[in-house]
Amino acid sequence: MKDTPLSNCERDFLLKAIEEKKRLDGRQTYDYRKLKITFGTDYGCCFVDLGKTRVMAQVSCELVAPKENRPNEGIMFFNIELSPMASPAFEQSRQSELSVKLNRQLERCLRNSKCIDTESLCVASGEKVWQIRTDVHVLNHDGNLMDAASIAAITALRHFRRPDVSIQGDEVTVYSPEERDPIPLSIYHMPITVSFSFFQQGTYLLVDPSEQEERVMDGLLIIAMNKHREICSIQSSGGIMLLKEQVMRCSKIASVKVSEITDLIEKALENDKTARKAGGRCGYAESITQERITALKMDETPVEVTDVKETASDIIQKAEPSPHKVPSLVVPVPGVGQVGQGLKNTWGLEEEDDDDEEEEEEEDTNDNGSAEQEEDLTVMEEEPHKTGESREANVVELSDSEEEEVIILHPETPDRTPKNTGSTSHQKGAAKSKKRQKK
Amino acid sequence: MAGMELLSDQGYRLDGRKATELRKVQARMGVFAQADGSAYLEQGNTKALAVVYGPHEMRGSRSRTLHDQAVINCQYSMATFSTAERKRRPHGDRKSTEMSLHLKQTFEAAVMTQLYPRSQIDIYVKILQSDGGNYSVCVNAATLAVIDAGIPMRDYVCACTVGFVDETPLADLCYAEEGGGVSSLALALLPRGGQIALLQMDARLHQDHLERLIEAAMTACKGVGKVLDEVVRQHLQEVSVLTSD
Amino acid sequence: MMEVCGSGIVNLREFGCEQSLLSRPDGSASFIQGDTSVLAGVYGPAEVKVSKEIYDRATLEVLIQPKVGLPGVKERSQEQSVRETCEASLLLSLHPRSSLTLVLQVLHDDGSLLSCCLNAACMALMDAGLPMSCLFCGVTCAIDTAGQIITDPTATQEKESRALMTFAIDSTEHRVMMSSTKGSFSVHELQQCIAVSQKASEKIFQFYRDSVRRRYSKTL
Repeated sequence: MKDTPLSNCERDFLLKAIEEKKRLDGRQTYDYRKLKITFGTDYGCCFVDLGKTRVMAQVSCELVAPKENRPNEGIMFFNIELSPMASPAFEQSRQSELSVKLNRQLERCLRNSKCIDTESLCVASGEKVWQIRTDVHVLNHDGNLMDAASIAAITALRHFRRPDVSIQGDEVTVYSPEERDPIPLSIYHMPITVSFSFFQQGTYLLVDPSEQEERVMDGLLIIAMNKHREICSIQSSGGIMLLKEQVMRCSKIASVKVSEITDLIEKALENDKTARKAGGRCGYAESITQERITALKMDETPVEVTDVKETASDIIQKAEPSPHKVPSLVVPVPGVGQVGQGLKNTWGLEEEDDDDEEEEEEEDTNDNGSAEQEEDLTVMEEEPHKTGESREANVVELSDSEEEEVIILHPETPDRTPKNTGSTSHQKGAAKSKKRQKK
Repeated sequence: MAGMELLSDQGYRLDGRKATELRKVQARMGVFAQADGSAYLEQGNTKALAVVYGPHEMRGSRSRTLHDQAVINCQYSMATFSTAERKRRPHGDRKSTEMSLHLKQTFEAAVMTQLYPRSQIDIYVKILQSDGGNYSVCVNAATLAVIDAGIPMRDYVCACTVGFVDETPLADLCYAEEGGGVSSLALALLPRGGQIALLQMDARLHQDHLERLIEAAMTACKGVGKVLDEVVRQHLQEVSVLTSD
Repeated sequence: MMEVCGSGIVNLREFGCEQSLLSRPDGSASFIQGDTSVLAGVYGPAEVKVSKEIYDRATLEVLIQPKVGLPGVKERSQEQSVRETCEASLLLSLHPRSSLTLVLQVLHDDGSLLSCCLNAACMALMDAGLPMSCLFCGVTCAIDTAGQIITDPTATQEKESRALMTFAIDSTEHRVMMSSTKGSFSVHELQQCIAVSQKASEKIFQFYRDSVRRRYSKTL
């Protein structure tokens, strides 16, 4: 599906408004949209709403063998899925430019900055380590996917709890969540990306571009920082030319924004922790607000099913047996089941023609295709032996056939004939020739 | 590499260079006869080969033709023998695609694409030996190749990777220095105007050091720019001597 | 002897539904059954690729994205079931040479996933305003080891069950539009489950009606 292109007058309007320091949704140049963080039922599931951009992150873990050059460290795997739900421009096939950019940026932001202690993920050095897999699904694209994805990923990692493991000598026991409480990951710091978009050859700068602003921008500068004012990654993309002063200014703005966002994340995590401790049900289900007109909730409903048994017996009694006759199963030789005889072929060849050609054909026209497939299924396991009738098949071998080697089948003798790759179709051909002889 | 000092007390690095010293740059232009432009560049032990075809008619998808400028198509790949362990997948993986995108972005900013509407310029870069600073060496080699092809550019595009160790910026990192968890910053610069075409940084660096690091990177790039200028002038002299005979 | 349930009552878990929650898709809905939740987004009618166009009908494409990992064969078969149900109820001939794309994202799986997908799909199609000849809903029944029929099972109940069936029921005549079964069961049990599903579907359709009524009401 193609995305609706942006018209020229929309583009001009946006650029003119930016020149006058105005944005379509009324924000200031350095303002972020409203950020809302909610959690799912299980640990490690997090939803982030940045304005209308909606992103979901899920963290899961698995015990695998470690990489050869790093036997003591766990493995972190990140994946951002651009779901076709998020925008009509996203297709199911993954390797679009945007997908590569987002994935690489997230990997650099989270993996290269060493925000997670990978050595603590090691269970048995060189044999078993934890692989932490973070899947980020983009649900709605309204601009600034990178920031939303990074917030979702790091929050989900903070929220996640992995199963507890104990090692006694050579024995390793992994406890399920019921046996022992799962333990959180050890995270040193939380890197969060801030995106700056540039317009008019770098003259104007906006923070947190919306989707329309992204379409008219010249380029993007992404700075990943944590709240200790350490820069974890800088990336400029798009064909813009930056000056050093611009980069310095952006980094200062970024540090302010990152500390605000980090506070929000901490608060959300705290709220979730208290809610879980209080024993209440938490999850996506609870986050649906009842005040919205587009949302409705209904409690557990009982369904009356007292007369179901009578209805069911009624239906079965009234039902007639199917008029379609299913041919019964014949077992000509041990290990081979045959249902149906197939149709007579309608090629119109002479009966006594000994120069029957045996070729491979596709048998779509054969009505008993299902029956033949059954034969094929059973035949695939066993050596090729098709016996429909107890009759000799006179089959002539063509030496200069272009197809693969022709098999001569002798239905009476239980000899094993050599099977080659084209044999299934050969069987069909052979069966047909036998049926031809039947006349 | 644990235990190895990246910067000794006397100010010497692993390979004996000082903090702001660049590696030795050797370059040759016009390496291939059939390509429109080609260049081979060595920066220390990192060797890169760049080839430029174009500007020519759009090949592949006609739908990507731009009516007012040329499309730049870059491909970055590493030879399977370029690293210590044989590289299983030289191109097509995410890192190579990302590098190709970065190269494309860098050159779109520098090449005057408005002069060639509806055409395509191909830049292919291959790393023959990787010893750190892959991106920077690619950009430098590609600049020379584009100049060799005669495609007009706004300025040389010079790139350099700098790192930050012990409060000192180190210019032009080699592989050992890159891998040691050092914060590395790759910068592609147009020296005359001081404009940054691409800025990429990984690993943690405190915000206060950022300005010094960028300054060091720009100085290093200007140094590389001077060397590239020398190479181009020398090549021109050679060629004109040959043709005048 | 198969017992439906001693007291003649089976339970459906709590329902929740929210429509129009995403801004980009033409229609979107999220459907929650207990802890299982699915988010659906619909785009259409929109431009279709020439290779996929059908001259007299719209082309419906269904995509199910699991929560972790890439879509596999299991998702493909679920997509097939959902697509057949939707094609039976949508009036596709009103939009020839167009494409309708339905994307389902699994937010949490705690049993009855396919029926939750069907319910979310129906609500999303309603939200997008696509013309349909009937509404449909999905009901999952499980037969446990004791022979009892449980509707809307949780993941633990599904694991311990002997057979698991999902039916898509239409709203006009309460007939079965699609069935997907797993496990072994007798003909009697099948008919009983279908009857139970039809009874349960009435509750779900009432819920649809209430949601839509609430949405278009002037007062809450």
